[in-house]
Amino acid sequence: MKQILALAFATLLAACGRSTDVTLYVALDQEHSEALVRRFEEESGLRVNARFDTEASKTVGLVSAIVSEKDRPRCDVFWNNELAHTVSLGQKGLLEPYASPAAAGIPAAFKAEDGTWTGFAARARILIVNTDKLGTDRSAWPTSIEDFADPKWKGRCAIARPLTGTTLTHFAALRFALGEERFQAWLDAIQDNVVWLQSNGATMRQTADPQTEIAFALTDTDDFHVALQKGHAVGAVFPDQAEGGLGTMLIPNSVAVVRGGPHPEAAKKLVDFIVSEQVEAILAASKSAQIPVRAAVQGPESAWILGIDDFRPMVWDADEVASHLAELSAAFAQRYGGTR
Amino acid sequence: MPRPVDLLARLPLAFAAAFGVLCIVLPIGAMLLETVHGPDGFTLAPWATILATEVDRQQILASVGLGLVAVAVAIVFGFGHAWLTTATDLPGAPVLGPLGIAPLVIPPILVAMGFADFAPASGFWFCALLLGTSYAPFVAVMTARGLRAVDGRSYEAALVARGRGPAEGLLLRSILPEIAAGCLFAFLFVISEHGVPEFLTVKGKAWHTYAEGVFGRWTRRATGVAHEDVVSPIVAAVPLIAITSLALWAALRFRARSMLRSDFRPLPTRTLGKWRLPALLLPVTYLTCGVGVPIFVMTRWAMGSTQTREPMSVDILRRSFRAGLEQSGDDLGYTLLLALLTTGLLLAVSIPAARAAARRFPAIDHLAVLPVAVPAVLLAIGFVKVFNSPVAGSLYDAVGYDVYDSMGVVGCAYAARFLPFGVLTLSQAVRRLPRSAEEAARLTGRGPVACGLRIHLPALLPAIWSVACLTFVLAARELDVAVVLPAGNDTVVRRLSNIVHFGGEDAGGALALMLLVAVTSLPILTVLLTGRKLRPLS
Repeated sequence: MKQILALAFATLLAACGRSTDVTLYVALDQEHSEALVRRFEEESGLRVNARFDTEASKTVGLVSAIVSEKDRPRCDVFWNNELAHTVSLGQKGLLEPYASPAAAGIPAAFKAEDGTWTGFAARARILIVNTDKLGTDRSAWPTSIEDFADPKWKGRCAIARPLTGTTLTHFAALRFALGEERFQAWLDAIQDNVVWLQSNGATMRQTADPQTEIAFALTDTDDFHVALQKGHAVGAVFPDQAEGGLGTMLIPNSVAVVRGGPHPEAAKKLVDFIVSEQVEAILAASKSAQIPVRAAVQGPESAWILGIDDFRPMVWDADEVASHLAELSAAFAQRYGGTR
Repeated sequence: MPRPVDLLARLPLAFAAAFGVLCIVLPIGAMLLETVHGPDGFTLAPWATILATEVDRQQILASVGLGLVAVAVAIVFGFGHAWLTTATDLPGAPVLGPLGIAPLVIPPILVAMGFADFAPASGFWFCALLLGTSYAPFVAVMTARGLRAVDGRSYEAALVARGRGPAEGLLLRSILPEIAAGCLFAFLFVISEHGVPEFLTVKGKAWHTYAEGVFGRWTRRATGVAHEDVVSPIVAAVPLIAITSLALWAALRFRARSMLRSDFRPLPTRTLGKWRLPALLLPVTYLTCGVGVPIFVMTRWAMGSTQTREPMSVDILRRSFRAGLEQSGDDLGYTLLLALLTTGLLLAVSIPAARAAARRFPAIDHLAVLPVAVPAVLLAIGFVKVFNSPVAGSLYDAVGYDVYDSMGVVGCAYAARFLPFGVLTLSQAVRRLPRSAEEAARLTGRGPVACGLRIHLPALLPAIWSVACLTFVLAARELDVAVVLPAGNDTVVRRLSNIVHFGGEDAGGALALMLLVAVTSLPILTVLLTGRKLRPLS
């Protein structure tokens, strides 16, 4: 009984508040980011108050918190597992420019011109293919997002509804990459061909599941890697790699210093750590198999997940996408949110 | 000049009022104010977007339909379970009864994932069945509460004078306030659920609920700059409030009447005769769907069913529990402590509020429902606005303690969100108390404090225990508020949500089982330790 009381008291004390040197909001899965946070604490001697997001809230929880806390910022550093919401925070004037010396090796395409965010450790938007359903002959596999419009795949391919997360960012980027007319035509063509699911995790599960009809789906490399690690019969296709093709969408993690945060100096040290080569390498080796944006950093072990120099990424303008995300989100909600 | 004892008697109500202002009126008011305060001053333009599109209207109809069908399911399971385990000689009733609350412990999204794991579970009807089962405990607990509050002598008198049918009709009418309250709670939770409808419409999208639409608008708020985008999820919540008000109006039409007297006798136990064993089918089906299948699936997950590298085994089960404990042992302790804090706070507020609602201010019943009518994320962001405002900040600096970053603010948010359970349940219970006892106490010179402590509190104790159990369970599994407030970061359900999402079903299954045991054991142990004196669990 004494032990239980002691534990309860300790929990109460911990709950009532602890002194922290820097506050970090993390949208990257807790499973991967928590150990890195602890590592930073050990290396720097600083105490980090880390808040993690949930997949259920799809980044919205932390982004909403940062926006709502703007009159009295609590967060020093925002580590997002994607880019568009971070850019959006920058456009709202909530981020402080900081050019980390540790990010010197990161290509300029992954850094904000005004220094408000730095991208690193990316996920690619790939096609996950069930090798039992489609066979191992890769020439029979889909190779492009245009394949979602092919009638021969009707009911056998899946995409998450583009209302949140990386799928929303991807669709928004496609809107500008393809142009309005071509994009709408593509949406019309895939409308009834595709099975619309609720998340990238679901597209992965449905494809990996031998009981379903779904043979391939659009998902993120981290979700694909989970299926691979669980021993499912899956392969990956980096889509649109043909000459003149769109290229594969790449969405990096992003980190930013929050304007007016209570611990600006410690925030910079934390950003230096997060964008370091060491962290990129750890994330590449982790279950989420993130793709390092520095070619020099060792990539994921799996041969299915290509290195940054081994495929052609799709060109997209994060500022343009972020500034239209709200409007496109509303339009997609109308298209994919009703009764059909 | 009021006597000190009168002032003392007003303290609990003053505390409740202060809580109501600080944790309900200000957060929700701050959010609503945002909608009319545009960049160019006062505007009502965002309000013109409410239900403006065909999609919105389809979604709201889908939500109401889902809510009504799920409530029907909840009545079948909840009412049936409560009636059989409370009022009949069903075998095993003392054990089966308290288990009636268990389906509430497991978040419905996990139940949905569990069902989908081994059966083609999808679509409107399955969603209604699943949500109806998940929220049937509201109806079960309330019905059981009502059945225990009815004077058995009035039932027996009707039975002797008018026969079985009219007697049962009288009984049903007597417990209608509780059944209606249980249905209201179930309805509110079903129509505000966005995760399960989204998950269960996996194969071939056919319909979406309004809560899904509201949730999607948070992305617009997070990324948008235009006033219309920023306030879109707030104004979108207005139809939900309107529906809730309508449902509340319907539920409150059945006001409880004074029933308890000094010679109160509980309802007689009905003998089921030859139906004794067949009747077991209902509670067994209910508990199998609500608890058995989820436990089965979670156990399979914990044994490694979602991976194909090695066969399922007890060894994997052991590893999963170890991993679950390593990752979330502290979170489990934190969650239970938070649930206890929430329960204490909610009771401290709802007891005086319910007494006031039953005796002097019936409008309190209506106002108390507001926090559960608005989406949880909206309430939580309202909390951020109030408890992290510059004014609050300077107050924290002055006292040297940061409330915003503490468990206290999450406890307050949870207590505010679940306040209707306390206020509605207890106000119905107070209405069952005869005023004559209070008047007699006053005539003999007893003050309001003595009246509250010696007359109301003992009579309300079973209802208080019902509320405490419901609040404890709900607080242990709340997610939406936890993702917005800083101190909600350490709750086990938030961790569970992440683990399961990222393919960690093994540790997630183990963690869900630990949560289930931890949360249900406290009410059940208390029932056992108090010799079933406190047994209002259905």
